[in-house]
Amino acid sequence: MRYSGKVWTAGLTVGLALLSSAAFAAPKKMADLSALGITGGKTGGTYSLALGDSPQSFNYYGAIDNNLGLVAQQLFDGLLEFNLQTYKLEGALAESWKISSDGKVYTFKLRKDVKWSDGKDFTADDVVFTYDQVITNPEAKSGDVANFTIGGQKVKFEAVDKLTVRMTLAKAAPAFLLQLRAFIVPKHKFLKYSVEGGAKPADINTVWPTNVDPSEVVGTGAFKLASYTAGQKVALVRNPNYWKVDSSGQKLPYMDKLEFLIIRDPQQQVAGFLAGNLDQLNITGAQFPDLKAKEVAGATFKVFRFTALFGSPPHLAFNFDAKEPVLQKLFSDVKFRQAVQSAVNRPRIIDTIYNGLATLPGHGVAPANGDWYADTTKYLGKFDLAAAGSALDKLKIKDTDGDGVRNIPGGKNLEFDLTYGTDSSVYPAMASILQNDFKALGIKVNLKGILAKDLLATGRAGNFEAILLAFGDQPDPELRKPIWQPGGSLYYWHRSTLPAKDGDPANTAAMAPWEKQIYDIFNSAATETNKAKRKALYTRWQYLFAQNLPVIMIAKPNNVAVVQNRVGNYIYNLGVIPGYNPVPLVFEK
Amino acid sequence: MWIYTLRRILTMIPTLLLISAVCFVVIKLQPGNFADQYLEDPRFTKESAETLRRQLGLDQPDYVQYGRWLWGVVSRGDFGFSFASGRPVSSLIAEKLGWTVFVALLTLLCSWIIAIPLGIFTALNKDKPISSLLNFFGYLGLAIPDFLAGLLLVSLVLKLGGSNVGGLFSPAMIDAPWSWERVKDMLAHLWIPVVALGLEGVAGLMRQMRASLLDVLNQDYIRTAKAKGLPSRVVTLKHALRNAINPLISLAGLSLPSLISGTIILSIILNLPTIGPALYDALLSKDQYVALTLLMFSSLMLLIGNLLADLALALTDPRVRYG
Repeated sequence: MRYSGKVWTAGLTVGLALLSSAAFAAPKKMADLSALGITGGKTGGTYSLALGDSPQSFNYYGAIDNNLGLVAQQLFDGLLEFNLQTYKLEGALAESWKISSDGKVYTFKLRKDVKWSDGKDFTADDVVFTYDQVITNPEAKSGDVANFTIGGQKVKFEAVDKLTVRMTLAKAAPAFLLQLRAFIVPKHKFLKYSVEGGAKPADINTVWPTNVDPSEVVGTGAFKLASYTAGQKVALVRNPNYWKVDSSGQKLPYMDKLEFLIIRDPQQQVAGFLAGNLDQLNITGAQFPDLKAKEVAGATFKVFRFTALFGSPPHLAFNFDAKEPVLQKLFSDVKFRQAVQSAVNRPRIIDTIYNGLATLPGHGVAPANGDWYADTTKYLGKFDLAAAGSALDKLKIKDTDGDGVRNIPGGKNLEFDLTYGTDSSVYPAMASILQNDFKALGIKVNLKGILAKDLLATGRAGNFEAILLAFGDQPDPELRKPIWQPGGSLYYWHRSTLPAKDGDPANTAAMAPWEKQIYDIFNSAATETNKAKRKALYTRWQYLFAQNLPVIMIAKPNNVAVVQNRVGNYIYNLGVIPGYNPVPLVFEK
Repeated sequence: MWIYTLRRILTMIPTLLLISAVCFVVIKLQPGNFADQYLEDPRFTKESAETLRRQLGLDQPDYVQYGRWLWGVVSRGDFGFSFASGRPVSSLIAEKLGWTVFVALLTLLCSWIIAIPLGIFTALNKDKPISSLLNFFGYLGLAIPDFLAGLLLVSLVLKLGGSNVGGLFSPAMIDAPWSWERVKDMLAHLWIPVVALGLEGVAGLMRQMRASLLDVLNQDYIRTAKAKGLPSRVVTLKHALRNAINPLISLAGLSLPSLISGTIILSIILNLPTIGPALYDALLSKDQYVALTLLMFSSLMLLIGNLLADLALALTDPRVRYG
């Protein structure tokens, strides 16, 4: 992708092929994905997936809800999307785009002849309306004002003509394109609930509640809503107006129907899969052995394993601002964190907890992310309790009173709470492995279990000493800036770096020199338009991370899924990743 | 009798008021708030959290939140709205009430129809081996929690190659119009929850019935009736049973709240579209008006169940008189 020059930058090979091959190129032709095992499919059939709970709404921007997201990504599209193989951005509803040389003006040419599922034309007005009235409406529950406020100003959205949209930024923001995967919604259905249509700002959340007439829910996606049975099923059918064709020109999606069966309990989901009611299911490493054994014994499904870009690698964090002064001092000491890292038995965790279905972690970037990953493996060190012990000895943390627990200089036992999620398939086992190994090292760990969904809130409240948590990886480090930039809103382990007031610059005075460096790196990279320079900056950050261990990364789980043999063209998708949707390619053999 | 009923209904009002206040306080005592669960979403900033809190009225003091809810209930029958979906609580409950009541009543009915005769049978034949066998199964049924029974049945069905594991319908039948096929499909699914839930109920009721009848059979008036030369069928059914059934009627009244809260775990495990899981979610995510309304509903059921049981007692037992 180019970031400079007034060149129409088409969405990679696909876009280029389209531009050169056909003047009437309204539908988007999928790239040849044979490297992923994708072949031409046949039309027809029903694809059944599991939904963990009832969707809260059918308006993607009206509720913060993962289940809604899973349904919505089949009903709507963004301007841009990821290439399923390379994770690079390419055109979706936008056919091509150009960026001004100063990186501030983005102009999008929309795909011709795209229609909403009710037959109305899709135009630049829909795009401008979606961004201006819905996504950047601060009252929209699932809006995204923050990512469209650049340099302190809201991005300006304009319809230049029926098929051209211009966005003007106050300053260059190279990761801005990634935000344009946001789903576009139909103006003709949303208008009367918007400020432009005379409604109150919060009314936007009331569009399409779950008891809406299904024909009202209109999108550009591969499927459209057919019916919703409360608590049981969301049924979608093929959208005949879908704008994508496969690499041989056949209309997508292949499947006639897509059904989400609402099944809350993970065990019940597996039972539903084994009974043949579900066609595909994402599973965890813990569920793997049983299902793999069934596959080997001749079951009619296969277990797939993918090295993951998306997905959440767990980490161990120490509270730099721990309430107890001795712990605060200790946890802020990089030598202590390094010593502890040598006592983290990653191979055992990968083996026993993930059944081998995980790899060594990256630092803020997934190893599978070819664009940005820097190989930091050597800084992970080896599991070596003796080395960890002598490192602690050097810090003068020795067992002075002979009770088997090391003492912090001053006499106190080295003892802390480890907070973890009890209702998780990995955290409890991980916590007890750490507890055991740390005990052998002479550190007393008290386990403190809470609900997994409360972990982050507990972390952000600073209400912990050590904690096991995970953040999802994303394709571009800029997208995870609030996590990894010191002073960012999710930089929970060192909360004294947070600004006094939201939106102010971070409290750099509280930062260690390496934190200050990381802070500056993220600020520079946010406006750097030269990709090679950005890459150098983010590489430097990953090394600083690996050496100074703001948190100790533990493992990167693989993605594992089970798929019935009757399903063709299966590509793993984690869940709600706008712009990454392989479902239209799935067919029934 | 009517005055008694009216008085009982009137005393429910302060009771419910007190219960609602206690429930609200307990919900509020949980740490954290509704917005916390979204913090990990990259789109969800501190401002979003504040906006959400304001939209939901969580920025108001607790007593204002409670007062507004109560005023809504009293003045216009509005039970508040769900934080998660923004829809009125009453419509969310109405959506699931049908199946909830259906499954619960069916289970209740089945367990009564099976348990009462079994209880009578084992009481009348208390020294025979068949009674010991039935009692053994009774103990077993009492000892197995409903969710375990549900899981075992699901695994059994899977082993036998069935696909009716969980839910009330096969996927294709969920949104099909009613037809004989759909009823058959439902029955093929329904027996698992009914058996799993009923097992415990049958065992309990059966033992209750047995104990109660044995008690009565040892009474003097039974001996007198027998001595008068009445046929033993008449003695058992007319004299003994009518007296022995009284404790069970009170018991039936108490089981009314289980319509909502009795089946939470099993509903999650067997994927039933009932209210139980909604209550569970609402409590976990602090969706306060949903949780509050459901808890109130459950309490109301208990109060009404008690009243109905008392009234039924008056009908079945001429000795009981009210008013």
